[in-house]
Order: sequence, then structure tokens, then C-alpha cells
Amino acid sequence: MVAFLCRWCAGAGADLAGTSRLQYPPNAIPIRVNCSGRVEPSWVVDALRSGADGVLIGGCHPGDCHYVVGNYKARRRVYLLRKVLEELGVEPERVRLEWVSATEGARFARVMTEFVKELRRLGPLQGNGQG
Amino acid sequence: MYWTGSCGGCDVSFLELGAALLDVLSKVEIVFWPALVDAKRADVEALPAGAIDVALINGTLRTEENREMAELLREKSKLIVAYGACAHLGGIPGLANLSQREEILAAVFGDGFRPTPPPGGSPEDAPPELLAEALPLSAAVRVDYVVPGCPPPPGLISRAFDALLGELPPTGHVFAPEKALCEECPRTKEERRLTQVVRPHEVLPDPEKCLLDQGMICLGPVTRGGCDAACPKAGMPCTGCLGPTPNAGDQGLAMLSALASLVRAGEEGEAAFASEDKVLDAIVDPVGTFHKYALPATWRVPSPLRGGGSGRGGRP
Repeated sequence: MVAFLCRWCAGAGADLAGTSRLQYPPNAIPIRVNCSGRVEPSWVVDALRSGADGVLIGGCHPGDCHYVVGNYKARRRVYLLRKVLEELGVEPERVRLEWVSATEGARFARVMTEFVKELRRLGPLQGNGQG
Repeated sequence: MYWTGSCGGCDVSFLELGAALLDVLSKVEIVFWPALVDAKRADVEALPAGAIDVALINGTLRTEENREMAELLREKSKLIVAYGACAHLGGIPGLANLSQREEILAAVFGDGFRPTPPPGGSPEDAPPELLAEALPLSAAVRVDYVVPGCPPPPGLISRAFDALLGELPPTGHVFAPEKALCEECPRTKEERRLTQVVRPHEVLPDPEKCLLDQGMICLGPVTRGGCDAACPKAGMPCTGCLGPTPNAGDQGLAMLSALASLVRAGEEGEAAFASEDKVLDAIVDPVGTFHKYALPATWRVPSPLRGGGSGRGGRP
């Protein structure tokens, strides 16, 4: 799985999970971005195309975005992208947007654990809804 | 000129050149053009390799025969031009890739359909097999140039003929401007905030204002210019037939991204989430809207994401 994490909140939250020695599945390739609003839908699709079975986008909680509205943009993009994926026969659950603040190391670990569990349930992306 | 899975619009598009067409015709010899001259496949097969200077091929590759003809023309031609959106990107017929071939055949001809020869006919009289998916021309043969559009607008056709009859551009050239269609569009753009998404038949658009600003999904920002903004000038949003600008990447996803950025339902924030989603819910058939022409060039079946991908890991 690929995790796009914003540097101000979700990325810092991931760091905190690490320094707090919290245990969570090591399945994510983290990619730090300046803002969740910087994540292009085509990056998400490229990640899925390149072998990822899921993509997590981690941003700041509503109202906390360092760039004020980047996370709102990300939310609308993911909402629409998931519709496109569904129409193409890809389970929309493979793309997940989560709000994680810099103090929420535990939440980050929980999100990772849940998402990996969900992706294991869905299985590998190959042989998706289109057969 | 050859057509594969095509509506015939590309063949007719030459007429739009008007009197200039006579000038072109005086400089070429048509050896094969099923819509116009009576030459058969056997006549092409009899030609030596490279005997044809330029083959313009329009249409989606949909059947085994389409693929065979593309390969035959590649062998017999010095240059292959993908003519029109179907040959370029897969085109509108490529939206069939949202369904499996077997589902399509069953829906049209009933369950268990197999292409069979007519009564008393020999096996080769059977209609050709459908390919598993509709494909752009470049999926089967090397393509030297592209004339984009559905159908190509006259300005770009002239541009292509001028080059083909004069100085050739580098291989891979697309005979269309690299700038976005918005640059050609005379409509005035304001600060963009989409508070609603509407379909063309639902509104009478303001004649001056940007169609996107009026809530229509206009693919102008991510689509090549070259048509002189013909559709927006007529009050219809651009549907993207000229294909992506060189830096738009995935044309549909680039538009999705831009559109989602512009949607507003009052003050941005958690309280507006549900109403923003409602605005986005008004987009009927997102794939058909954003990837109207480029689905086969962008996504592949049976696993649509596997198109341009490298290997895969297999673990979450």
C-alpha cells in the first residue's frame, strides 16, 4: 500500500507513532507531501497501477490544514475518484482518506491496522471487479 | 484511408476542407479507401511492402479483422497516421470497455452467441471475433502521427496535409496545438467556484461567460486546442475529443482533480461536506464524462488499472 501523508499533520502523526514505538502493520510505503490537497488523483491511480492494493491519503483534521483548505480539496477529489474507480470495477474502499493530527500517533497506528485488515479482506487488486 | 471500428464521421470530415480538398486530391493518388474507391483487401495485399506513402486509419480497433488490417497497412505503408479520436485514444466506442466482451455480446445477441458463418457459407465467411477490449491504433501497430478530434477539425486536417505533403515533423507528432482549448475560447472566465453541476440540456447558457463557471463540465482546461473552441462557442461544453494537452497526463483524472477543487457549497468546512458531495453527485456517469474518448488509451480490461503499469507486489 502507498500512504501519501501531509507533512504537517498525518506525517507528523506517523513519526509520533514511530517514536512512541507503537506497533502497526509495516505494509505502507509512506510518501510525504506538503499537503493532502497536493495529491493528484493520477498519483493514486499510478500507485494502484504500479502494484499497490490500496492508497491512504492522510491529511489534517477539518479546520487544521496548514494551507487552510487543502484537506477539503483532497476530500472532494477522493469522493469523486472513488466514484470513478467504482465505475471501472475497482473497489472504492481501496482509496481511503483519513484525518490524523500531529499528536495522534495512536490514531495513525489504528488507521494503518484497520486499512491493512480491509485490504486483506479485499485481496490483491489483480482480478478486481471486472473479473 | 481505412476505417476500423468507426462511425464514418472521420471519412466525411475531409469535406469540411471545402475547395482546399481539390488541391489536396490533385497531389495524391488514392490506392485504398473503402468509403470512396473500389479497392479490396486483396489489392492491398498484392502491393509490395512500403508501397503506400501514407495510410490514414480512423476508428477503434474492435475486431480481429481491424487488427489484421492495421497490421497489413503498417507493412504496406511508409507512414501510419492515427486519424481521429478513436484511432488516437480509443474514442467513444472505447467506453464499451466498461463491460466485458461476453456481456456485450450477450446483451446485443443473447446468451451463448458465437460468430458463425451464414447458412451454406464457409468458415471464413463468419463475422470476425471481437477483441477482448476496444483499443487505440497504437496498441496494435507503430503510429507515426496523430490527427486528433471527433472528427478532426478542418484546421488540423489542413495542417496535417501540409506537413505530409511538405516537410515532415518528428515521429510521434500530434497535429494540434499544445495549449489548452481555454486559450482559444472567447468566453470570459471569472473566479471559479462551482456551486452546481448541470448538464447541457438543463440550462440555457449565458452567451459570454465561461461554461465551467456556469456549472457545465467543460474539459477545456485539460484538452488540446485546435478546434477554435467550436463547441464552447456554440454553447456546448468541451468533451475532450482532441485529447489531453501534453502536460495534462491522464486527461480525465486531471479534469476530475480540477473540478473537485472548484466545487463549493457555501463556506468550506466540515459543515459543507454533505452539500459538496451532493453537488458532485450530480455528475452522471463520471467515467463517461471524464474519459469520454480516452478510456482505452488510459485504462485496460479485465483489470483496468493494469494498463500502463509495471509489475506488482501482490501484498497489501
